Amino acid sequence: MAESLGVEYLLALSAIGIYFHAIFVSITLGFPLAIMALLFAYSRTGASEYMRAARILTYVLSVNFALGAITGTLVEFGLVQVWPGTIAAIASFFLAPLALELIAFANEIAFLILFIVTLGRVRPMISILILGVYWVFAVYSGLLITTVNSWMNVPWGVATIPGALYPFLPEYGPLAVDAQKLVALKILLLASGLPLQDIIQTPEASNVVGIILNDPYLAFYSPYAWVSVAHNIVAALIVGLSIALLGFSYRLYKSKDVKYAQIIRVFYPILLILILIQPTIIGHYMGVNVAYYNPVKFAMMEGAYTTYHNPIIGFLAYGDPNHPIIGFDRFYASCREQTITLGELANSLGLTRENLLEISNNLGIKLDTQRLDNVLSTKVSDVCIGDLKSVESRIRAVNIAYYTKIFGGVIAFISAILLAGVMYRIPLVSSISRRLVNIIGRGDYAKSIFILTILIALGVALAAVLGWYVREVGRKPWTIYGLIYPSEVITVVDYARTLEFTIFASAIIIAINIAGIYAMYIVASRHAVFTQLLERSLSGRR
Amino acid sequence: MSGGEVVVTPAQLLGFTVLGLAVLIHIIFVSITLGVGLITAVYRWLAYKRSDGELELFARKVFRLMIVSELFSGVWGTIITVVLVGFFPGLVALATNILFTPITIAIVSIMIRIPSIAIFWYTWGKISERAHSTIGFIMALSGFGVPLGFRTLFSELSYPHTISVFLAGNTPPLWYAYTSPLYWSLYAHTVFAVISTGGFVIASIMVLENNVRWVEIGLKYGILFLLAQLIAGPLYYLTIYSRSMYIFNNITFGPYAPLFTLKLILVLLLLALSLYSWFSVRRRKTIIGYTKYLGPIALPIVFLGEFINNAPRYPYIAVLGENGVPISAFFNFYMNIPASLVYVILGFLIFSIIVFTTAAYLALIRGFIVEKIES
Repeated sequence: MAESLGVEYLLALSAIGIYFHAIFVSITLGFPLAIMALLFAYSRTGASEYMRAARILTYVLSVNFALGAITGTLVEFGLVQVWPGTIAAIASFFLAPLALELIAFANEIAFLILFIVTLGRVRPMISILILGVYWVFAVYSGLLITTVNSWMNVPWGVATIPGALYPFLPEYGPLAVDAQKLVALKILLLASGLPLQDIIQTPEASNVVGIILNDPYLAFYSPYAWVSVAHNIVAALIVGLSIALLGFSYRLYKSKDVKYAQIIRVFYPILLILILIQPTIIGHYMGVNVAYYNPVKFAMMEGAYTTYHNPIIGFLAYGDPNHPIIGFDRFYASCREQTITLGELANSLGLTRENLLEISNNLGIKLDTQRLDNVLSTKVSDVCIGDLKSVESRIRAVNIAYYTKIFGGVIAFISAILLAGVMYRIPLVSSISRRLVNIIGRGDYAKSIFILTILIALGVALAAVLGWYVREVGRKPWTIYGLIYPSEVITVVDYARTLEFTIFASAIIIAINIAGIYAMYIVASRHAVFTQLLERSLSGRR
Repeated sequence: MSGGEVVVTPAQLLGFTVLGLAVLIHIIFVSITLGVGLITAVYRWLAYKRSDGELELFARKVFRLMIVSELFSGVWGTIITVVLVGFFPGLVALATNILFTPITIAIVSIMIRIPSIAIFWYTWGKISERAHSTIGFIMALSGFGVPLGFRTLFSELSYPHTISVFLAGNTPPLWYAYTSPLYWSLYAHTVFAVISTGGFVIASIMVLENNVRWVEIGLKYGILFLLAQLIAGPLYYLTIYSRSMYIFNNITFGPYAPLFTLKLILVLLLLALSLYSWFSVRRRKTIIGYTKYLGPIALPIVFLGEFINNAPRYPYIAVLGENGVPISAFFNFYMNIPASLVYVILGFLIFSIIVFTTAAYLALIRGFIVEKIES
């Protein structure tokens, strides 16, 4: 494995950036649904509180969009800045999704500006249409970025290459890459101990390596990607709408003004439907895909140190109650069945020691031949077992995170149904809800709604935060599942791999984002005081 | 490194062209927003200090430009990044190594700049004037941090100060790019240009308001920094002469000489018209009709300036004295980039420009964004 100094620091730094981005993206995706619903209600009733609520959400959306854009920039730039080895993947596997994302990003911004500029100046239905187009581009953007992330989780098109090292991994689609070149690069990384950046930054490196990918649209063919897209986007919509719900229910609780209950009633059905379908349909298919394509991650989620039987999980994950939950013992056993060396594996692809030395020479890599021989004589089983051992310590954490996430989801699910029973007349549900309201809110309607929305928001937040944790930590020890370690794509800049840099960068990210969130709160909660100066100036001009 | 005939394939030419297009559009936008941001912050603060309502109204009216254009401007920065990584991955890998510090400065500046613009606008009237003025200065100054970082890349591509250390097999120090003899004259040229352009754009927009005082403010900044350019421009030109003969020859005697001449003519025209407008508003307190053309003249100058700053490197991606590093050295050979994908994306980007222009027209010309703060 390449020099690993700083990997943990920079993983933490990336996580901070991604989590902040996730908050803003959720609002970016969720708020427009609420705004459109409010504008629709306004167009039907003419009630001004709907328009006012839509405006407040629009102001928050505007500040939020700026924060989402910069955290997106941070995540993107951060990716190439501190993980520059990913540049090779961005220039190949990710290029089509990221290039198409430019369409989404540019049009998202153009239509958001058009919406802000024309809100209140054109008919509500036209505003809904403009915002609807914006929202479609925002969803499209989420689809493309999730496709990229999904490829790192399930590298579709590399077929049996990961399985050659880790026999418990499935086949990742038909082969659409140059296997010989990928394996040669991997062996050179192992033998040189250099991060990938050291190789690809050399002039002519790309020319020497040549074509590694035959189909630029490969990332879109993965079934795992499409389930992930649905799962992530619906999760973001739920988080965004839950924040809007929490804001209006807080206003209701503080003011006891029933207009806020009316505002909630307008968009709550959207949130309710999403909360109902996420775990029962989309989440289920997500789980099935993880169990099949990411077996190590699934074992970590289920805490399967050893293989065991659980008919419910077996049925849900594999469609067969008798199917065992495959644990690390089976993975180790399949690793031990591998008897070949890395050199023999390379030979089977037509790569000889001389080929590797020639490629290394052409790429300008100073290779220690002794180290190369050591790598080539390494048993595949040793690599396989070593990587499994490196993640074993995380099984407990991932397992707890996963079940806490499920717990959060259940809380949100039940609270959402109860809130529906309070807000609307639903046979049976409403009578149960109202009884519970009498207990938790002591008959205070506004307080009960506020408590239920807090439970929804907390449950949703737990599910989202820990869901992403499970997805990303469960991907380790690889950055690209079964292929590339984080230490192989890390920056070569020593300073960037220090704790000081991580603290410095984290402090800036946290400060800016907290300031931004506070500003969003001010925008949402304070009435504007028409400044005296402006008042005087305008009255003078009238 | 090439000294002989350099072959550029159609794919490489497409990459170079798309990159150039994205850079030019981005530069046009930021040349407006950096200067406008600074002038807004100054006058919002002066309004607070002098209790001058008209200045606050001016600041708020001018800031509509930022609210409308900054995010769309930013998206072109992202487009540049994706185009760079997509077409020239080796160059990005190298830049993120040897220019790590400048790029970090630029990223931090972007992170401060964009939210502070939205915060500045939407908290107007909701927080104290002092706090609001402070946010304004943070917003304005952070904008200049972006070129402070990214201009090192442009400087290195024209004169490989840090790249040459790397190519010699050494690791350049973290701040080494800032010791480049080309960098600071380029940065000064950039800063003066954007403030001057911002001033002239404000003057043009304020003609629509028919307010002599507001036009005068725009003219003041436009002319002052245009005069500063009369020093910074020749200084940068001389630095190019001493450090990058290939570019100098292309601009002065080669295929780019007509464009360079056109740029100089436009600068003289801008100077003459702006001085005429200035004397008119100062002495006669009237706004002459030509004033509204100052912004539209300043922007092509920025376009031409940036074009002749970058295009003369062709067929090299980075210039090394009399020749350079050919485009192919850093080009993406990991996959064949489908030309159809590039054209589809360009088509949608043009569509987004049309939508944005409509929004900007409604906001700035039709006055859809009003100065009144809504509760």
